[in-house]
Amino acid sequence: MGVPEFFLAFAFGIHILMVNIGIALATIIPFLEWKARKLSDTRLLSNAKNLFKIYAATYGLAGVFGTAFTVFLLSYYPEFIGVAGAVTLYPFGIAILFITLHFFSIVTYWYGWDRFSTNTHLTIGALLAFSAYMIPFGFRSVFAFLNTPTGLLIKGSKLELDLMAALANPTFPPLYLKSIVGALIVGFLFVAAVYAYKKYKGELDDPAIEEELILKPVEIAAVLLVIQAFLGAWYIASLALAAPYKFNNIFAALGLRACGPSPAADYSWLFILKMVFVAAQFLAIIYVLSTAKNGVTATGIEAVKLAAASAALGLITGEYLNAFSQYPYFVAALPQIAAKIPEPWRTLLARALDLRNANILTMDPGLIAFTAVFLAALLAAALYFIYVVFFKGVAEK
Amino acid sequence: MNPLAQWAAYAASWDRLLSLIGIEVHWIILQYVLGFPLIILIALLIHYKTGNKHYLKLARTLTKAVGLVFAVGAATGTASEFGLVLLWPNLTEAAGRYIYFPLYAEIFAFLMEVVFVYLLVFGWDKLSPKARIAVALLALTGAWYSASMIVSVNSYMVAPTGIVAAYNPTTGTWKYAQGYPKVLLVVPNKIVAALNVGKLQSLGMEVVGKTGDAVIVLMPSKIVQRLAWEAWNNKYVKDSILLLVLNDAAKSNNALLNTPVKVIVDTILVRTVKQVGPYTVTFLSPVYPGSILHALGAALTVSGFTLLGAYALKLLTAKDEEYRKYAYTAFKFAVYFSLTAIVIQGLVFGHIMGEEIAHYNPEKLAAMEGTSNQILSLSRLTGADKMMPLIIYGNPNAKLPIYDQIPKNYCYLQPRPGLQDCRPPLIIHYIYYTKTGLAVLLGLDALLLLYYVYRGIEIPKLILEANLASPFIVHIVSFFGWATREIGRKPWTIYGIMTVDVAHTPNPAPPALVLLIALYFIALISALGVAVWKLIYVPSLKEEV
Repeated sequence: MGVPEFFLAFAFGIHILMVNIGIALATIIPFLEWKARKLSDTRLLSNAKNLFKIYAATYGLAGVFGTAFTVFLLSYYPEFIGVAGAVTLYPFGIAILFITLHFFSIVTYWYGWDRFSTNTHLTIGALLAFSAYMIPFGFRSVFAFLNTPTGLLIKGSKLELDLMAALANPTFPPLYLKSIVGALIVGFLFVAAVYAYKKYKGELDDPAIEEELILKPVEIAAVLLVIQAFLGAWYIASLALAAPYKFNNIFAALGLRACGPSPAADYSWLFILKMVFVAAQFLAIIYVLSTAKNGVTATGIEAVKLAAASAALGLITGEYLNAFSQYPYFVAALPQIAAKIPEPWRTLLARALDLRNANILTMDPGLIAFTAVFLAALLAAALYFIYVVFFKGVAEK
Repeated sequence: MNPLAQWAAYAASWDRLLSLIGIEVHWIILQYVLGFPLIILIALLIHYKTGNKHYLKLARTLTKAVGLVFAVGAATGTASEFGLVLLWPNLTEAAGRYIYFPLYAEIFAFLMEVVFVYLLVFGWDKLSPKARIAVALLALTGAWYSASMIVSVNSYMVAPTGIVAAYNPTTGTWKYAQGYPKVLLVVPNKIVAALNVGKLQSLGMEVVGKTGDAVIVLMPSKIVQRLAWEAWNNKYVKDSILLLVLNDAAKSNNALLNTPVKVIVDTILVRTVKQVGPYTVTFLSPVYPGSILHALGAALTVSGFTLLGAYALKLLTAKDEEYRKYAYTAFKFAVYFSLTAIVIQGLVFGHIMGEEIAHYNPEKLAAMEGTSNQILSLSRLTGADKMMPLIIYGNPNAKLPIYDQIPKNYCYLQPRPGLQDCRPPLIIHYIYYTKTGLAVLLGLDALLLLYYVYRGIEIPKLILEANLASPFIVHIVSFFGWATREIGRKPWTIYGIMTVDVAHTPNPAPPALVLLIALYFIALISALGVAVWKLIYVPSLKEEV
């Protein structure tokens, strides 16, 4: 892995984790508010509001690292951005419109708490959740396109996209659904871990809140984990058909081989690592649920934290597996379709879609040092944020 | 001539409109992120020195406002970023390839803003007075650092480093016949070896220097823009105008003839950027100093007059006597701040900007001053054209560029759909003069208010009511300033290098969808206005009693 890929992977890893937690929190918080107001449960309501502070922080981090990722991509691979920008107006457009709507929902939901009427506030909460699901709808359709460019039309000197065909990309439905379910698993376990930590610190003395915000999230995560197993298998099967290069890079070493290009690398170890994290989640969840007859036990708290950490690491590992297994191509199906692309696009796309062709002007040790120093500062600031939002506030209570 | 029709006639009119709305929505918000932190800092310093609690309250109120607008600004910034990629992918690609550094470095500015703006918002009660001042200073630094990066890219688009304009103000003559405007390029020797240099010189190319591996030239922009068009339309050398300037040996080199023009253009531009400096190339744009000062000045002026309008409203509506005292202190501060900002902006920063435009974008100056017989020229009507040579060139005998003498075809070798008329749109004459007139009006308004607050005389209700309009007027002034800069650059996207049709996406959205997205942005900014009203203004009424 070169320097550009490292910086991209670093920024993307943090971004995607925060985004996934965000998707889940955008679902959980409005639901908790609705339930709390329905039951006139002030403690649940105040916990929902506290969770929103965490959500705002994770969303801020996701935004910063997401922007860092796109700017790195633009600087290191401008030709790819030129091609992607020219053909992906609609998928990216969907994502952008909902990003702005989501930001706006966050701001109004936060500032409007106890200021807007209940119905207005809950409507904004619904908007918050809906927009959280629509952003990955746009982005994941682009990711599916990067598996196999379904819908790409070459008309002379122009590239076009047939949107309906692009949405019918065989890898899109499993990828999108898997992403949403994965986000919910991570998010539910994250909420459970936050409250398990509170219990560990002796700051949680309400059994109802413990039931609502530790045990129920763990139960939901368990159900979702089972669903995810099927979605994962569906996605793998779709890759075998649509992006065999990618499939073979992951599974050839494990004895599974799809019809298509020979594997150029072996990423089976990354897949196995991801499966280890999934197994750890599963076992930890089983342990928590089987030992929590009278509330979460002390070892159960540790198990919740283990499940959440495994979910987070499993998510990042899965995203890296999805990205690296098609290296060095931005479009995984490129090796099998290259011969069918007419000139000059064959030459131009071969250059633009190759991760080894990083912008020569960025290949300067000074820039690498500059980036490393500032990324360290970025990370330190992120950790400081996490400290203030997740720990400092809790300690002061 | 119909100036509006002329403006619409350039390529990509719908997407230009959408970008104009999207970026303006972002800019409306951004000005507060740039301006309010300075006001917060000054207010905190005054409070620290004098102990006057009114200034602390002012700083706290503005901090809440910054927290609110920054969040929406981040969203509109993301939308603008993706909008550039989707509507202008070739421009974005070129920016990412050759002038990436300020965009890259801006990431870290964004981080500073996020951390310190929200540390101030959420950590207000946990910070000591000194720490608050330090955090406000850091938030201000982050915002201005960010602006200095982005404005450098925009400055490069207005006047690329090394550009030589086509006008001589002493003689009043355009120099198009000699091939101007010309762009500085560093051409590697391996490419020079394939060229017929004499032929190129006859077309206006000038050799201005040499390095070990390259020749430094000034290339006529009509050749440069043609090569940019060929590069982003996937032409080969064999189909290029390069064929006309290749030497005999190169003309029979099949490998060269089948090379994409983009590869040749890329090699030259990479070498040029390396020579000028990848990290400094945009900051060396000749219009950068004026541009960054003018952008920051606009943000401070907008922030000042917004404050002035907001506290005029409070003075009109506040009933509680203590609260009125606070509102008056804030209003008085806003008057001093706004007047200082608009005077410096108009007389110093605006003047620097004007001089730079005159030297490096003479076509735009001609359109701004309306030196054309095809329209009703306000500068001629008011006699302003008589003073302009002295103001702009520092020489009463200098001559303003005449718009009607600009050839329609100065920027191209051959016309093509989307590039028929090289002259900038005359509509900017009206935009610019409206902007200037409104700015003068705001300056006089601030001067009048200074009279009242300095003398301690009660401000008449009518004047306070009139000042409720000042935040809207100042936004119009600011918008018209940017509109003059951006619209006035047409048909260029990067002056002398890339025209709008080349920068534009090959797959534009249909006009109906563009309008829908534009309405969406307008709805978003309106909703932000309502949110600020409900979340900042309405709660503040409760604080009175």
